[in-house]
Amino acid sequence: MSLGVRLEALSAGYGSAAPVLELTDLEFPPGSFTALLGPSGCGKSTVLGLVAGFVRPTAGRVTAGSEPVRGPGPERGVVFQHYALFPWRTARGNVEFALKRLGLPRAERRRRALAALAEVGLAEGAQKYPAQLSGGMQQRVALARALAAEPEVLLMDEPFGALDALTRTRMQSLLRELWQRRGTTVLFVTHDIDEALALAGRVIVLGGSPGRVLADHAVPAGPPDPDLRALIARHLGSE
Amino acid sequence: MHATPSPPGRGLAGLGPALGTAGVVLALWYLLAHSGSVAPGLLPTPGRTAAALADSARSGALAADLGASLSRAGQGFALGAVIGSALGFTTGYLPVVSAAVTPVVSFLRPIPAIALVPLATAWFGIGESAKRLLIAYAVLLAVWLYVHDGVSRVPVSHLRAARSLGAPLRRRFTEVLLPAAAPAVLAALRYGASVALLALVAAELGGADSGLAYRLQVDGQFLRVDRMFAGLLVLGLLGVTVDLVLAAVGRRFVHWSAS
Ligand SMILES: Nc1ncnc2c1ncn2[C@@H]1O[C@H](COP(=O)(O)OP(=O)(O)O)[C@@H](O)[C@H]1O
Ligand SMILES: [Mg+2]
Repeated sequence: MSLGVRLEALSAGYGSAAPVLELTDLEFPPGSFTALLGPSGCGKSTVLGLVAGFVRPTAGRVTAGSEPVRGPGPERGVVFQHYALFPWRTARGNVEFALKRLGLPRAERRRRALAALAEVGLAEGAQKYPAQLSGGMQQRVALARALAAEPEVLLMDEPFGALDALTRTRMQSLLRELWQRRGTTVLFVTHDIDEALALAGRVIVLGGSPGRVLADHAVPAGPPDPDLRALIARHLGSE
Repeated sequence: MHATPSPPGRGLAGLGPALGTAGVVLALWYLLAHSGSVAPGLLPTPGRTAAALADSARSGALAADLGASLSRAGQGFALGAVIGSALGFTTGYLPVVSAAVTPVVSFLRPIPAIALVPLATAWFGIGESAKRLLIAYAVLLAVWLYVHDGVSRVPVSHLRAARSLGAPLRRRFTEVLLPAAAPAVLAALRYGASVALLALVAAELGGADSGLAYRLQVDGQFLRVDRMFAGLLVLGLLGVTVDLVLAAVGRRFVHWSAS
């Protein structure tokens, strides 16, 4: 169960300032995993905001499945850079927040929340509040919460940017694993070329002002390809 | 589910330094009053003050004044806090409304409640409703400002996350905006309570026939400094008690916040 996403001749800006984004048409097929790579300020978060429905385009169109995006919706889940967990709810409570929409009985909601936390390896932290969890654990909760709402598209904005290298690698394998199991369409924003190559089947390099697509590469399965890395690094560096 | 341990040093142990300071002040007061360097008509001894306090407690005057003042301050506070919170949530959440009303609030805010006493008297007379309205008005402005500030600082990512998780408007309000703003609301209520006491004194000095501040004025006319000291002591203790109670209640509800 996943939706494709289409961006058609998309422009976006904030207020009366110059546009920050001018994209050619882009299509993300159902179940694909795409990394959006680019330097800070090139408009990566804006792209996610447009797909999430937080930001309205000044021109062009976003569609998820066959429906134009008109605002945020649970079929498009978001994992935020700074987790955006509710500090007044426990880890379990945060996940249950996402489950409430499904109108399940309490016990079932609770069972599913615990299962979702177990799936991200956080079974024992279920009763803790976000302030009592490390950054990596908080990001696990955020991932479990986003997935619990059963989104068909998962939007992730530099989700592992604040984690240490080891935790980061662990979270990357966890994400790959979850994606393979669920087949959710993933748009993953990062400014780390190695993270993009480790995770995604496709890497889109954004850059310029206003931001546009500088390069669009398929990442072949198998061992890392140093030539592809060098090529993408050159696109990034040409900024 | 809310069984988190309370932070250390905030219980009875936290009272230690405060009691120490109170002891020092009391000792200095005692020494000064007994040194003979200040006329006894101007500075009562702690003993005489305590006696005056016991007197008014025995005669029932203290209970009557305390009751009258608490009732005014409590009703005015409740009215002002409810309206101020509602306005704070509205303007804090909707920047358009905020832009429209901010100039009005900026103009009204520096006018102290006491300056409004003559106008309140002209409009509403010297009855109870005039006093309640004056207190409510002062509390409303204070609470509004604090709640507005807190609501407008609620992280946009919390509200966005809630929308992306499919929470309808009602749940976004009760389950996100309300708890996210709760620490600010608590601070607003504590500040509002202190403002209510200030406005209470202003309202009672402007014409009343009962109440703690009314009694102070009467005692002042008879130069009863011992009674005035006792009255001030009661006012101060009332303020401290109200704040401690609100803080304790707040810590139960806002257990996740450090402040
Ligand atoms: N809320 C906003 N208001 C005004 N300008 C913004 C806002 N958000 C982003 N911008 C601007 O838009 C551009 C792209 O920002 P963003 O999409 O956050 O880039 P990235 O995520 O790649 O760092 C930047 O120049 C940034 O300053
Ligand atoms: Mg960004």
